[in-house]
Order: sequence, then structure tokens, then C-alpha cells
Amino acid sequence: METFVQGLAMVFNAQTLLVIVAAAVFGLFVGAIPGLTATMAVALLVPITFYMDATPAIAAIVATSAMAIFAGDIPGTYLNIPGTPASAAYVGESYQLARQGRARETLGTNLLCSVFGGLFGTLVLVFVSPSLAEVALNFSSFEYFWLALLGLSCSIFIAIGSRLKAFLSLTVGLLLSTVGLDMMSGAPRFTFGVPDLMAGVNFIPVMIGMFALNEIMLFYGSRNEARSVPAMAKDSVFRQAPATLRRYWRNMLRGSALGTLIGALPGAGADIAAWIAYALGKSRSKEKEKYGSGHIEGIVDASSANNSGISGAWVPALVFGIPGDTITAIVIGVLYMKGMNPGPTIFMNGGSQVYALFTVFFVANLMMLPLGYLAIRASKVFILTPRKMLMPVIFTFCIVGAFAINNSVTDIWIMLIIGLVAFVLARNDFPMAPAILGLVLGGTLENSFMSSMLKSGGDLLAFFERPISAALGALVILIWLLPTLIKHIRRLRRPAAATAGDEK
Amino acid sequence: MRDFLLGLVFAIGGGVVIAVAQTYPTMPSLQYGPSLFPSLIGAGMLIGGALLALSQVRVLAARRHAPEDPGLSRYDYRGLALSLVPCALIVFYILAAETLGAGLCMLLSMWLLMLMRGAKWWLALGVALVVSLIVTLLFSRYLLIPLPEGVLLPQSLAWIG
Repeated sequence: METFVQGLAMVFNAQTLLVIVAAAVFGLFVGAIPGLTATMAVALLVPITFYMDATPAIAAIVATSAMAIFAGDIPGTYLNIPGTPASAAYVGESYQLARQGRARETLGTNLLCSVFGGLFGTLVLVFVSPSLAEVALNFSSFEYFWLALLGLSCSIFIAIGSRLKAFLSLTVGLLLSTVGLDMMSGAPRFTFGVPDLMAGVNFIPVMIGMFALNEIMLFYGSRNEARSVPAMAKDSVFRQAPATLRRYWRNMLRGSALGTLIGALPGAGADIAAWIAYALGKSRSKEKEKYGSGHIEGIVDASSANNSGISGAWVPALVFGIPGDTITAIVIGVLYMKGMNPGPTIFMNGGSQVYALFTVFFVANLMMLPLGYLAIRASKVFILTPRKMLMPVIFTFCIVGAFAINNSVTDIWIMLIIGLVAFVLARNDFPMAPAILGLVLGGTLENSFMSSMLKSGGDLLAFFERPISAALGALVILIWLLPTLIKHIRRLRRPAAATAGDEK
Repeated sequence: MRDFLLGLVFAIGGGVVIAVAQTYPTMPSLQYGPSLFPSLIGAGMLIGGALLALSQVRVLAARRHAPEDPGLSRYDYRGLALSLVPCALIVFYILAAETLGAGLCMLLSMWLLMLMRGAKWWLALGVALVVSLIVTLLFSRYLLIPLPEGVLLPQSLAWIG
């Protein structure tokens, strides 16, 4: 009880609350401007959180990411351009609603679903992660090796588009993770004689290059956008909401549960959660034919799912140190910097710190309600902020942010090189999430493998001798075989279906 | 076509990684050492890149018989050149910040980027000036980051730092 009160006190003080509001407003802007993602918002925030205490730093990240995901709906509704990839699944739906003069009602529903989804994910985080952590306490290097491999395999299997490209993207991240002194032998690898690279590639410049510089380059390479100001809606934000939510509460619950689960899977974040929730909602709906023509049900599932995914991604990140999405990949780096090393022990030793973290989630998600309402009323501001003025400002933050982590010019070079590589890869449809996961998990993968081998004297079968380890190993192998299995099942079914058709 | 080239780049890169990894020392107690993971990653890049390139060979071969699609063959070189401007400005910052100072470099870069997209010159200058002042203040005063001050205008800008 005492630690709980201490945890509350760490959140309910002027500084932390102020940080939450400021971060939420920042997230609102970044999320509402097309081309800037929630991950980018968090990556640019880290250099500043670097100088805060652990609780306000985490609060800033949680508030920014949750708010950015909601704010992505604003340009989606008014302009048919998603503000972040997580809103892409249902922009068609919400834009049609806006054309019917229901823009504010749509955004109000989005907001309520986002808050509900965020709180649902938080409840799962609060109740599931401590019990998972008790299981994880028994884990040794064997289990961590499989977990890391499981995370990497998931990121490839879930990837939208070519799996081969996802795999190649992963190798880039893994290769980056090997730069620096080898943990076991101390031999320098891929350092090219640069002293700053001995400790490895710093994570934050990589993220800034991959998610911010890359987007800036895409912006300047694109044609000038002529953006017309849409007729602004005058309808009520919340008047229709109670009826809508009463009617579609099952969708909200289903979307939130699905979103939390997908968020917790490594490599799949809010965007994939929204796509799958939208598709599932449509397939289970009684009014399928209305989808695509401005049907409010179509935004309930996905709008709940993307925000619950943001919270759900924290479960594996906190318990195992395995990020559930690209945002928690950054979070893990921040937690290490703050001395809150992720892993099961965080729940045993953390005490008040953990309560503070949980409280931050509730506060940040509830804070979305008033701030989101104001944002809906003031949508015009976000839509009219010209990107030609904003992109250069973000460009400046990229340089200073990359420099600020270690006060080193090498980090600016790293950001530049990674930005160029990411630009080439992203333009050719390589997904970025596997690369980030490779960079975060590469070290865990290699170190857990090497220490397991030292323990077992080089016997590879030791990876299957412990029960949990064997089960995890089997799961990994199953995921690897899944694409082939699905292909075979389809092939077996197709001739069967063809003959069945002939008989008719 | 671009996938074919990227596949080749990955395959060659994988080969180089494997070659470099062979120079790393091995551990006395194990048959694996620091070279194991880079070699595996290199092998992954080599095989994955080769597969990507090969899959494109088939597509390219099929397209040779098909009539040429004019939309596909033309490439947006102007767009590519424009998207490299931010990178050039980063190199400019790295090289010039020690002499010109971080604030002035930011100001010039932002102004140029805003003008590129057709902002009014006086508005762009004003915004760039205000933002570079805020960023310099925030990072060097409040967060105590030693941003390069430059040698040109140390006295006139002393009130910032």
C-alpha cells in the first residue's frame, strides 16, 4: 500500500502532470500532420526526456504516443489523408461520414473508442504483466534466446507485403546490432576504427534517421501538395456518441481485445491492429453492405484497436524486454537509460516505480478526453499548419536530437546514413519494423545464444531440454513452417474444391 | 528493376560481411566465436538478396516480350535530387557548425528548406529565426548540450548561451 501511494505521488505532482499535458499537445500536432508518425514523435521526444526523471520521461512517451494515434484520425476524417499509418485502415469510412456533415460526431466516436481502447490495453498491462513476470522469473538464457527468435520471426511473419523483403530488412537491423565490442570476447566488430562505435550503434540516432529523416526526404521528393480547406463541420461532438457506443459496445470490446493482442506481438503495432480489426469488424457485421459508404460501425473496431495496441505493446516490452512495436522499441532504450531495466525483476524490485508507470497510463489515456475534445473543436489549426514550414523545424530537431544523446557528431553521421538506407528501402516497400526489432533484439539473441552454449559446452540440444524452452522452440519452428503449411493446405483444398464444383 | 539491383546489393553486402567476419578471433573454449553471428547474418543477406534478384529476373524476362510501359521506365530524377537536399544540409551542418555556430547553421538550413517549398522569404526568415533561437536556448541553456557556438559571432550571441 505504501509503495502504491508513493507511486501515485510520483505521478500526481505539478511537474509530471505538466509534462503529460505538454507531451499530449505535442503528440496531437505530430499525429495530426500527415507524414509524421507516432514513432517519429517518440523518437524526437527522447533527447528531451533524457534529462527528466524516469516517471515524467515515461509519462511523456505514453501521452505522446496515445495522443498521436488518436490525432491521426483528424486529417483522415477531414481530408481523407491518414495522419499516422494507424488511421489508414478506416479513413475511407470516416471521410465519407465527414462528407455527410458528421465529421465532429465521427471524431467524437473515435476519441471515445481511443480512450476506451487505451484503458482496456492498460488494464491488460496491469493485470497480465505481473503474473507473466512470475513465469518469466524462471527463464534462463535458453528461454530468452527462443523469445528473441520468436519476436524476430513474428515481425517477418506478420509483415504486410513481401516476407523476403521483411527478412532482408531484419538482416540490416541485426547487422547494426553486431557493431561494437563483442560481449563475449571483447573483439571489436565493424567499428572501422571509429572509437565512438566501440560501444555499438546508438539506438536513438538510428530511430530518428529511420522514422524522421526518411519522412523528411520523402516529403521533399514529392510534388507540392495543394490542400484545399474543407468545409468545417458544425455538428455536436458527443451528442450521438452514447447511442452509437451502446449499439456497438461489442465492437469496441472486440477491437480492444484484438488490438491489445496484436500490439503485444513483436513487430506488429497499432497500424496492423487497425487493419485487422477493421477487416474482422466488417466480416462480422450485420450491415456489411454499408461499409465504405460512411458507416459509423466501421470506425469503432479499428479506432479502439489502434489505441489498445499502443498499451498492449508494453506487456512484452516490460516483462521480457522484447518490444511489441516500434514505439516500445524506443521505450526499452529509454528504460535502460533510466536504470529501470526491463525484465521480470522490474515488478519485484520496482515497487513504487511500477505503480507510477501504471498510473501514468491511466492518467495519460483519461487526459485524452478533454484534450481530444478541444482538438476536435480546433481541427482547423492542425489541418492548416503548413508542412512546408513544419518540416524544416523537424529537420532541425533531428540534427540536434541525434547530437544530444552523446554530444557526438558521429551520431549525426549515423542518423544521416541510416536515413539514406531507410529512404531507399522504404521507397521499395521494405517494412521498417523488422529492422528496428533486429537492432533491439540482436544483442539479446546473440548473448543468450553464446551464454547458453558456454553453459552447455556447445551442445545445441540443450535448447530443447528445459520444458518452457522446448515449447518456445517448437513455437518458433511452427511459425517458420506456417507459410509453407498454409500454402500446402490451400493446394490440397483447391483440387478438392474444383472436383466438388465439377460434380455440381 | 530496382528490386533486382537491391537484391544484388544485399547479396554482395552479405558476401562482404561474411568475408570480414572470418577475420575475427575465435573463442578458445567453443567452436563458435564473435564471427558466428555476423557470418549467419551475412549468409542471410546473401541468400535473401540472391532470391530477391532471381525473382526479379523472371519478372524482367517476362516483361521483355510485353510492350514497354512508358510509366514504369521513366524515373523521377528531379524528385530524387530534391529529397537529397536535406541530407546535403546535414553534411553542411556537420562541416560548418564549428565555425558558423549551430544556431546560424540551423537558421540557414531551415530558411533554405522553407524557400524550396515556396514560402514567402520574410515569413520563412522570421520563423527560422525564432525556431533556431528557441532550439538553441532549449538545448544549450536548459538541457546543457554543448552545441557548437562557432567563431564568427560569439560576442553578439553571447546572451543566448
